[in-house]
Amino acid sequence: CQESYLDLKPTDRYTEQNFWQNEEHALAGLNGTYRALTDDFLYGSDSPFLLEALSPNAYNYGNTKGFNIIAKGNHDANNSSVINNRWGSNYRGIGRANNLLANLGPIPMDEALKKRIRGEALFLRALFYFDLLNLYGGVPLILDRPLLEQGTYPRNSADEIRTQILKDLDEAAASLPLSFTGANKGRATKGAALALKARVLLYHQQWAAAAEAAKAVMDQGTHQLFPDYRGLFYLENEGNAEVVFDVQFKFPEVGNSYDINFQLYENSVPLPDLVNAYLMTDGKSITESPLYDPAKPYENRDPRLKATIITPGSQFAGAPVTATTFVQTGFSQKKYSVYKDDVKPVELLTSGKSELNFMYIRYADVLLMYAEAKNEASGPDASVYEALNKIRTRAKMPPVAEGLSKEQLRQVIRHERRIELAGESLYYHDIRRWKIAENVMNTNLYNHRNQVIDSRVFNASRDYLWPIPSVAIQNNPVLAQNPGYGK
Amino acid sequence: AGVLLSAQSTFGQAIMASSQEVSSSPQKGTRSLKTILTELGTTYQVNIMYEESQISGKYLAYPLPKQPKVERALDLVLRDLGLKYKKVDDGVYAILPVRKEAKKVPVLPTPSSQSSVEPRPESTLRALDVAVNGVVNDDKGVGIPGVSVLLKGGTQGTTTNADGAFSLTLPDANGTLVFSSIGFETLEVPLIGRSSLTVQLRPDVKALSEVVVVGYGTQKKVNVTGSVATVDEKFLANRPLTNSEQALQGILGVYVNQPTAQPGADGANIRIRGLGTLGSNDPLVLVDGIAYSLRDINPNDIESISVLKDAASAAIYGNRAANGVILIKTKSGQKGKLKVDYNNYVGFQRVTYLPDAVFNSVEYMEGKNRALANEGKQPEYSQATIDEFRNNPNNPEVYPNTNWFDVLFSRAPMQEHNLRFSGGSDRTTFSISAGYLNQQGILMGSDARKYSIGSSITSEVSKRLKMGLNLSGTYWDRNESVIGNDYLMNQIYRVLPTQPTLMSDGRYADTWVRTPGHNLFRNPIALATEGSNNNATMRMLANLFAEYRLPFDLTYKVNVAINYFNGIQSRFVPLVTKFEPKSGVTTPIDFNGMPRSAYRAQNGEMNLTMFHTLNYQKQLGAHQLGGLLGYSAESFYNSNFNAYREGYFGNELTELNAGSLNPQVNGGSGRNRLLSYFGRLNYNYLEKYLLEFNFRNDGSSRFAAGNRWGFFPSVSAGWRLSEEEFLKNVAAVSNLKLRASWGRLGNQEISAFSFVNAVSIGRGLDYTFNNQIAAGAAVNSFSDPNISWETTTITNLGLDAGLFSNKLNLELEWYEKLTSGILQGVTIPDQIGKLDGPVQNVGDVRNRGIELTITHRSKLGKEFEYNAGFNVAYNRNEVTNLGGQVLYGSNTITQEGSPIRSYYLLEAEGIFQNEEEIKAHAFQNNATKPGDIKYRDVDGNGIIDNNDRVITGRSFPEYTYSFTLGANYKGFDFSTLFNGIANVDTYVTHNYAQPYNNGAGVTREWLTDSWTPENPNARLPRLTTATGYPQNFQNSTFWLQDISYLRLKNIQLGYTLPTALTQRVGISRARVYVNGQNVLTFSDYTLTDPERGKLYGTLFEYPSAKTYTAGLSITF
Repeated sequence: CQESYLDLKPTDRYTEQNFWQNEEHALAGLNGTYRALTDDFLYGSDSPFLLEALSPNAYNYGNTKGFNIIAKGNHDANNSSVINNRWGSNYRGIGRANNLLANLGPIPMDEALKKRIRGEALFLRALFYFDLLNLYGGVPLILDRPLLEQGTYPRNSADEIRTQILKDLDEAAASLPLSFTGANKGRATKGAALALKARVLLYHQQWAAAAEAAKAVMDQGTHQLFPDYRGLFYLENEGNAEVVFDVQFKFPEVGNSYDINFQLYENSVPLPDLVNAYLMTDGKSITESPLYDPAKPYENRDPRLKATIITPGSQFAGAPVTATTFVQTGFSQKKYSVYKDDVKPVELLTSGKSELNFMYIRYADVLLMYAEAKNEASGPDASVYEALNKIRTRAKMPPVAEGLSKEQLRQVIRHERRIELAGESLYYHDIRRWKIAENVMNTNLYNHRNQVIDSRVFNASRDYLWPIPSVAIQNNPVLAQNPGYGK
Repeated sequence: AGVLLSAQSTFGQAIMASSQEVSSSPQKGTRSLKTILTELGTTYQVNIMYEESQISGKYLAYPLPKQPKVERALDLVLRDLGLKYKKVDDGVYAILPVRKEAKKVPVLPTPSSQSSVEPRPESTLRALDVAVNGVVNDDKGVGIPGVSVLLKGGTQGTTTNADGAFSLTLPDANGTLVFSSIGFETLEVPLIGRSSLTVQLRPDVKALSEVVVVGYGTQKKVNVTGSVATVDEKFLANRPLTNSEQALQGILGVYVNQPTAQPGADGANIRIRGLGTLGSNDPLVLVDGIAYSLRDINPNDIESISVLKDAASAAIYGNRAANGVILIKTKSGQKGKLKVDYNNYVGFQRVTYLPDAVFNSVEYMEGKNRALANEGKQPEYSQATIDEFRNNPNNPEVYPNTNWFDVLFSRAPMQEHNLRFSGGSDRTTFSISAGYLNQQGILMGSDARKYSIGSSITSEVSKRLKMGLNLSGTYWDRNESVIGNDYLMNQIYRVLPTQPTLMSDGRYADTWVRTPGHNLFRNPIALATEGSNNNATMRMLANLFAEYRLPFDLTYKVNVAINYFNGIQSRFVPLVTKFEPKSGVTTPIDFNGMPRSAYRAQNGEMNLTMFHTLNYQKQLGAHQLGGLLGYSAESFYNSNFNAYREGYFGNELTELNAGSLNPQVNGGSGRNRLLSYFGRLNYNYLEKYLLEFNFRNDGSSRFAAGNRWGFFPSVSAGWRLSEEEFLKNVAAVSNLKLRASWGRLGNQEISAFSFVNAVSIGRGLDYTFNNQIAAGAAVNSFSDPNISWETTTITNLGLDAGLFSNKLNLELEWYEKLTSGILQGVTIPDQIGKLDGPVQNVGDVRNRGIELTITHRSKLGKEFEYNAGFNVAYNRNEVTNLGGQVLYGSNTITQEGSPIRSYYLLEAEGIFQNEEEIKAHAFQNNATKPGDIKYRDVDGNGIIDNNDRVITGRSFPEYTYSFTLGANYKGFDFSTLFNGIANVDTYVTHNYAQPYNNGAGVTREWLTDSWTPENPNARLPRLTTATGYPQNFQNSTFWLQDISYLRLKNIQLGYTLPTALTQRVGISRARVYVNGQNVLTFSDYTLTDPERGKLYGTLFEYPSAKTYTAGLSITF
């Protein structure tokens, strides 16, 4: 009687003892793992664009989430909030995937569905580990359900992490369907697993394998370029055939802050260095082309410029853009804003209210990965040109000049990647894997009037990797620090 | 002639039956009549008055047969002596003088009756003047000088001389004399025709006979062996306490911190004897024995407060007593005629401290540009903009210099009224009270009203059965900013002088000046006043008890209580626009991202308590024995429910049903239970040697089966040295007691079901596929199934001394408080799925402290009485065992050998003066420049990083102290309370604590006293923005500030109108007073009020207030 008076069970939540019993539980655990993607330091809030501000493409004046301090090379293991938090944000996703994977086995349910759920969880785990690998290098490899002793694990090597990522992606690719429909659209597909595999291999210069993985996606026939480059980022075109994998948002349940970031906060604004990189419509650079008029610098340019960047003198969201509309550089990012040039919105979407999905991998990237990997692996061939020109054509730009050497084509591909994927959170990784960061980041920054607004430093012996966060080392002293950083 | 009043209130020696013999000289087996009367007084707890001459030289056989009533005993004693007695009042008997005209003795005046004084003709008065003289002695027969002797209801009076003698002339010998002196009980003596008196005054009951409320009962203070601090209603009277938590300020060893003056939310943090644990340190509050919220008891209904500080006193409440126990006794009625009390005050509050912000637009902008230039960045404000402001000083709509503090903070009125009716018949007493408080906020848009009622009825249904019911209810009605006052304060510490207030036509004005980092100007006037955010909370306590006297000195008592709470928050966020005069553009004002919407939330609590006790009290000769056994079951239930809607067509209709879009609903509930068995055994010998044992065995639903029972014993002993023969005759020592105690207490204050891994479900875990919601679930925290009770073992030594007739009192305490198995939410590495860490029994903490109180009360001349008190508490906290773990906070560390949550910071060693110094110093950062803070390379490895942090500073005060001064002169009374804390630091960041934080403003010091090559000795490093240049704002000792303070907490001056005057209109007592709260403050920390709640963190707290009130209290 005494004990029964004191024996109470929670009535507003499950416990691990009475969860993981059926199919719905398994799916809920999987959905909760997807939700980890929308973390404020990963793909939610304004983080994808702040990551862009670590590259010559964009600028974060206010040191939001500690990004500008990284761009300026003044970061250490303790003073940047994104360095401190992105570590845990990824491990949150890894932990949820691991817990699901550990509990999935005994659940009595449809075996095909169980296999698919396992595939999705493996894909997500790989995605989270890949972000850690990219930014921090080797990290502790944890594959079991969350256990206290994992807090004492040392770092694994980058190769060990990469091997596990590729293993997970292979199994995911083998387990996942080619596509989903209806209320399942947006789940990881076989194509997503292969495309991510291509990216992992590309970043590791495993050119042939990367090209092969990209080619596998291309051969699936499930994806194609969306006809209109700007329209690709419209809300009404979410989930089109170019999307390989996206992080999905919907207000009010799961919103992001992309619009207010671009329109008001200007936390990540395009730099003239990017604006000037867009070619003229004749396929030549602004320094070479006769079409360039310094008085009208944004005319006759690659159409992707105006699809990506809001420029002074243009029209956006139904209002004229003046030289002082965007005070930091004069520019702001249009890509990933839900507003259109000529439609005045009722009100500005404030924090957490934007709902455009973030495309983690889209088909244009797959084509560019293929082109780059193939060119690096075996030099220029028709398939490389074909992939590149698909992108050029969609952008309404002339095709790539024929007969380029491998090295010349490499520059074309790199340029095309920068332009096509500008503002999509990839260029910071590109300049680091190309090992050109020390050349492009040690520079002053300018606004559109060519006035110096800030400066950057990139220490090649240190800054290619982020430091392991002080807090992580504090909680687990066996974690070794990356070269050049204090604890 | 003489009068004796027996003082001892326990027991006398048993009187044995014997035959009655009378003699006129002492013989074997006889005692003097005087001695016998003294013993009768003691035995029957009555006062017996007599004229010395009537009883001297009379001896009776002794012992006497025991009688059931004092009347029978007196009959027996006096019968053969030819003496008679008269019952003068309850418990007062007078031996009547033997006179021939004895039959003509007029009706005796009733001492307590005011109406017996009747004016008589002047001529008669003169004719009957008589001289009365006498001596006033203390209980050791020593004359007391300076005793005031007054004729009751008359004007005649005098004071005793150095030998305690007095003489005065009175109209007749039938009045009543009132004897009063500091340190003694006031005594009223009817003359009954006598002209010579010997009066014996008892030492003040407050000091010796005071009864204090202890766990499940009361105890004479002299017999208390634990550490108990008490205050009574006099201490609380007439202070403008909006909240009972504030009433504890000034009590020894209790650290009370009242961080804000927000109406309806101005509660205090109460810490008893330091931080014993890492979790909640809130003490257990019991109102008439039932766990209740201190905030919801009307301060005016409190009769007394006992604070149980050591384990011996608190162990009977084992399960939740580790942080100390606060026992509140509410007022009840007294037998006698109806008494009506009314008191009120009205006054106003003013903000105490605000940051010294720069509210001149040009200075602000030039400063910001300078800060950015120091970072190598472009100016944010063009020279043209700055010049526009400079040249248009009289256009506040476009070129404001807004002093936002002047706009948003103002003098705020407050008033309170309390009314009480109390009284009782022979068997039933009652008290009914009502209170009303109306407090406007010093911050725009905040206010609160409190309505409280209380009722207490006790009835002696039969000789054996007593029953009673206490009811109390408090209703708070509180309004605050629609975005919440904390966030409003954040915005207020963020707005800039360049931002305008209102257009001349009343529209909200918008700024045309773009400030990066502060792109959304949220006009704080709109945030403070638009929409609505109301909290209406009702808490009720119904406490029913019945007490039955069983045979064999046993008393059974049962209590059943309901503690009910219902809170409703109603919020409506409006759509309000602001107008930018330069461009003519109108935009909506952002209410922290909330769209126009309605929200309504309901929180409920239903806590049931039932306890049974069996009490035993027995006197066996010189031995007194007491025992208590009890059983208690408590159940706590809380629930919440909230709903939300958007889609409103305007700001007029604010109910949920008036909206149409995005409906949301949430709800849940929780339950906890406690089951306890407890007991107490106490014993004393002649009130000289005191011994007490307590135990409690508790089961809690917060722990898993197998870990849920805790046993909490205690033992304590006392020795009243002043009762020993060798001290009895030392006149200087009135009271001297040594106390020692040891005991163990428990703590289970963790959230329910912390022992099991929960799988969370809900909106934060849902995901959307193809714009359709998909329900998600995840484990968010790690749990430890083996957690169990945290135990605190307290050893306490105490010394109480009353010297010079208790004019000087001294209390000294030493304690050691060892908390083991501390329950703490542990941070685990992010690699473990970034889960919230488990609550675990992590380690041991030791608190050691000394507490000293000295009080002195005395008199200068005839009518000037004064008192002074001082207390200081020292507490030192040290983590003694954490199993080798280290617990880190953002800038704190908890580890073995250091106090809990010590600051853990880089050690600043000055400011770099030039490049050479930077080069010579350990590497800090690429960006380091002259004017930056220099950090010490503690580990000497040439690089400044987290490994160079040092443990420094304290987040909890080592010393808390207070002192009081008071005086009375004629009808005037004056009192002051000072309090303070010392050896404590604070660490603040964010807006105004740091310059130009993410587009916020700056304090003046940064513009006048920051490092430049021309001002190398400045206090502050070079001016930069906090967000753009974090190097100087890393957690370092540079920003650790001493937040010790001394404050004149309360000062009061009152005047009691002469009774002769007030009685004519039927008022027995009337007092008027003026009061000041937080009047003076001395502290090095001036950024905000030093009595802040968050010793680290931001400044965003509703500010504190100085309060000035004037009031009236009347008793009919």
